[in-house]
Amino acid sequence: MNVSTSKLLARRQLLLSARAAARREPYRCFSCSIRHEQQTPPPPGENGNRTTHFGFETVAEALKEKKVATVFSSVASSYDTMNDLMSLGIHRLWKDHFVRNLNPGSNPLTSRSPISPGWNILDIAGGTGDIAFRMLDHASTLNHDAHTRVTVADINPDMLAEGRKRALSTPYARTPRLDFVEANAEHLDMIPDASIDLYTVAFGIRNFTDKDAALREAFRVLKPGGVFACLEFSKVNSALFDAVYKRWSFGAIPLIGQLVAGDRDSYQYLVESIEKFPSQTEFRDMIERAGFLVPGKGWEDLTGGIAAIHKGVKPVEGMI
Amino acid sequence: MATPTRLTRTLIRSSLRPLSKPITARHYRAHDSPPPAPFTPAESAILSAALSHVPANGFTSTALRLGARDAGYLDASTNLFPRGAFDLVNYHLVTQRLALKDAVQFPAGERIGVGKKVRTLALARLRANEEVGVVGRWGEALALMVQPTLVPASLAELARLADEMWFLAGDTAVDSSWYTKRASLATVYSATEVFMTQDQSAGFKDTERFLDARLEDVMRVGGFLGGVGEWVGYTGHSVVNVLRSKGVRI
Repeated sequence: MNVSTSKLLARRQLLLSARAAARREPYRCFSCSIRHEQQTPPPPGENGNRTTHFGFETVAEALKEKKVATVFSSVASSYDTMNDLMSLGIHRLWKDHFVRNLNPGSNPLTSRSPISPGWNILDIAGGTGDIAFRMLDHASTLNHDAHTRVTVADINPDMLAEGRKRALSTPYARTPRLDFVEANAEHLDMIPDASIDLYTVAFGIRNFTDKDAALREAFRVLKPGGVFACLEFSKVNSALFDAVYKRWSFGAIPLIGQLVAGDRDSYQYLVESIEKFPSQTEFRDMIERAGFLVPGKGWEDLTGGIAAIHKGVKPVEGMI
Repeated sequence: MATPTRLTRTLIRSSLRPLSKPITARHYRAHDSPPPAPFTPAESAILSAALSHVPANGFTSTALRLGARDAGYLDASTNLFPRGAFDLVNYHLVTQRLALKDAVQFPAGERIGVGKKVRTLALARLRANEEVGVVGRWGEALALMVQPTLVPASLAELARLADEMWFLAGDTAVDSSWYTKRASLATVYSATEVFMTQDQSAGFKDTERFLDARLEDVMRVGGFLGGVGEWVGYTGHSVVNVLRSKGVRI
C-alpha cells in the first residue's frame, strides 16, 4: 500500500515538473532577441483579423504562412541531419513503414487494367522528396510498376530546390514520373478535381494555417476511392513515456538545432507546433468531417504515439 | 433467473419465423439494442467482391485489389483495410458466423439432443467454406490467422463462433460447463477445419467422420473427468468421516 502510494506520488511529481517545464520552456531560449524582433505578435483581434497559433504564440492567420516559410527556408539545407539527430534516426523507419503500408503501384501482371496504368500520387509538403522517392522505389521494385507518378508540392521554394537537387541522384530525375510544383495545400488550383489516387502529407499538416481547408481541398482533388494518408507527430499514450519525451523535445531539440543548424528558434517552433497539433481522435474526427471514410479506428500509432498515421478513403458515390 | 428459458423460447420462435422476413436484431444478449453492422457498406462491397477472387488468387492483397476494382474503387482504396488480407479472412469468418442462424433451422416439433444440434451446426459451418469456394485456399487463411499479431483477433472470432453454435443449439447451462463446452467445441472445430484443408474424399465424408470422432472423444473425456470428480468427492467424504469417527475434530 505504502509502496504504491509513494510510486503514485513520484509519478505525479514527475508529471507536474514536466508540465511546469513545458510551460516555462519558451522563455528559456538563449537567443530570443531575433525572435522577439521578428515575431512580436500583433494584438489578437485587431482589425477583425482572425488568429491562429504559431507554436505557442498567437498570430494573425495572414502572418502564419510567412512565419512558417521563414522557418523552413532556414532549415532546408540541414533538414536531414537535423531529423536524424532529433528522432535518433527513427523518422526513416516511420517513413519507410508509412510507404510500405500504403503499398503504392499496381502490378501490371495482376491488375489487368489498361485504362489507368500506375497511381497518380500527390505528395503535399514533400519538398525534400523524402516520401516521393520512397513511393517511386516501392512502386518500381516491389510492384514492378513503371507508370506510377508523384507530384511533389510544397509551399516553400527552398525546400523544393533541395528536393530537385536530391532528385538528380535518383533514377527519376527528368522523367515524367516525378514533378515538383510550388503550391499552397489550401488552394491547389493547378490540380484538377478527382485526379489523384493517393494524397500524402508527411510531417506537414501541422504547419498549415487552416487544416480543415486543406482537408477539403484533399477531398476535392482525390478520385472517388482515393486515399488521404497523413504521417504526423501526435500525442504519446503513456504518461511516463510522455514525461521523458517532453523532456527530450523541449530540452534537447532546440539545443541540437542551435548547435547543428545554428537556429534555435526554428526548432523551438517545431516542438511547440507538435504540442499544439490535435490528438489522434480529434484529427480522426476532422478527417471524417471532411467526408472521408476512415479505416478501423482511423489511425496507427508509431513509437508509442510520438507519431501517428491517419488515413481516409474518399467514398464512391452510388456504389453504396 | 428466468432468462435461459426465455431465451430458448425466443430461439424456437425465431427459428419458426419465415426466412423471407428480414431479421433486424439478434435475439440474444441485447434485446433492446441491435448490434451495429460489423462492416460499413463500402467495406462490405469491396470485401464481398474480393472474396469471389479468392479461389483464383488466394487470401492475398491481389484478391483485395481486384475486389476493390469490381466494387468501383481504386487499388489505393484497399488502404481501408489496415490488416490487409487478414481483413478478408475476417470478413468470411464474421459473415459465415452470422449466416449460421439462417442456414440451420431445427424443426420445432421433435426433440433433438443438444449434442446432435452442435454437430449439425459445426458441419454446416464447415460446409460453408466449401460453398463459398475458399476451402482450397483455407490453408492460407489459417496461416494468416496464426501470425502472432493476429492470433488474439482469430481466437476471439473462434470463441464467438463456438458461443454462437452452443447458443443456437439451445444450450442454457450457466455453470462452469459454460466455459468448458465452448473451449472444447472451439478445439474440436479448429482441428476439424485443419483436417478439412487436407481432405480429398468425395463430399468431405472424411471430414464428417473426423468431426464425429472428435466429438465422441470430448464426450468420453468429459465422462471420464466426471467419473474422476465423483470418485474424488466420494473418497474425500469417506476419509473425513473415518477421521471424525476416530475422534479427530474436523
